[in-house]
Amino acid sequence: MSIINHGVIKTSAIGSVIGESSVIAPKTERHKREVHAELLLTALIDAFSILVIFLLMSFSSSGEVLFVGKGIELPKATMGEQLDRQPVVKVEEGKLFVEDKEVPEANLVQALLDLRKKFQETRPNEEFPGIITIQGDRRLKYEQLNSIVLASSQAGFSDIKFAVISK
Amino acid sequence: MSLKKKKSLDFEVNLIPFIDLLSTCICFLLLTAVWINVASMNVKQAVGGQAADAGAKKPTVWVAMSQGGDLTLDVKDAHVPAKLEKFTIPGLQGKPNLELLSQAVAQLKATEPKLNTALIQPTAASIYEDIISLMDGFKKSGVTDLGVSPL
Repeated sequence: MSIINHGVIKTSAIGSVIGESSVIAPKTERHKREVHAELLLTALIDAFSILVIFLLMSFSSSGEVLFVGKGIELPKATMGEQLDRQPVVKVEEGKLFVEDKEVPEANLVQALLDLRKKFQETRPNEEFPGIITIQGDRRLKYEQLNSIVLASSQAGFSDIKFAVISK
Repeated sequence: MSLKKKKSLDFEVNLIPFIDLLSTCICFLLLTAVWINVASMNVKQAVGGQAADAGAKKPTVWVAMSQGGDLTLDVKDAHVPAKLEKFTIPGLQGKPNLELLSQAVAQLKATEPKLNTALIQPTAASIYEDIISLMDGFKKSGVTDLGVSPL
């Protein structure tokens, strides 16, 4: 048997037509060469690890606080601070929205007062923070934002957070 | 003495579970990633905010914006030389000149280190982007308490 495995017969006779009809190692099918290729997975794991590290570093656990519409391009700033979830007033296509609900300019103070009232009803033991987030396109003129600034002042929202994109 | 057959030290780590794990991590992180980094520029309203702190008399710089990007700085309640009490920074191509502003604020801070408050007075035609860049410039120069006044 060892002669067959290691000897001349294996390399010559068995692989040949004689080998297929041989009594020593009979084969009904034609001998097929085994295809066995190993992929080098180390490089793939390296690439994956780098991707995971990059994505983890840029991962934001605070989630998406603001939904920025297609028509709005926020101004850019380098010294922006982290944005928390606060009531949002936005100006989009000349219309005012309080928490994504369109509000006429004349009713803006009332809408903000309603927000304040709602906060005090839902959280009676907490102090009203008086913070509001303003979201507007970078090309807006201040006269369009002025009504929000005035209304928020009248409704007791003294701290304003202008939404910006971090440079 | 019979020679004991030594077990080969070479072994292969099964990498397939690692790849599965990493692929799952990548998919999760890609799906939950927030690519737009939204931040905020925090300000207080000049009128309301000042009323509360009226007794404190903090050194404050009032910044009046004009249409050509000119900025008029008026320093109040601070010990600064007369030439720095009120001066104008000319605009650059219709926008505020932030480089000159940072130099001016650095001068003011050198003479009055307690100067941390700036109140911006935009005009009706002031562009929102310019107001934000002005706030950004002040924050970069160390003036962190910002206010914006209504028209």
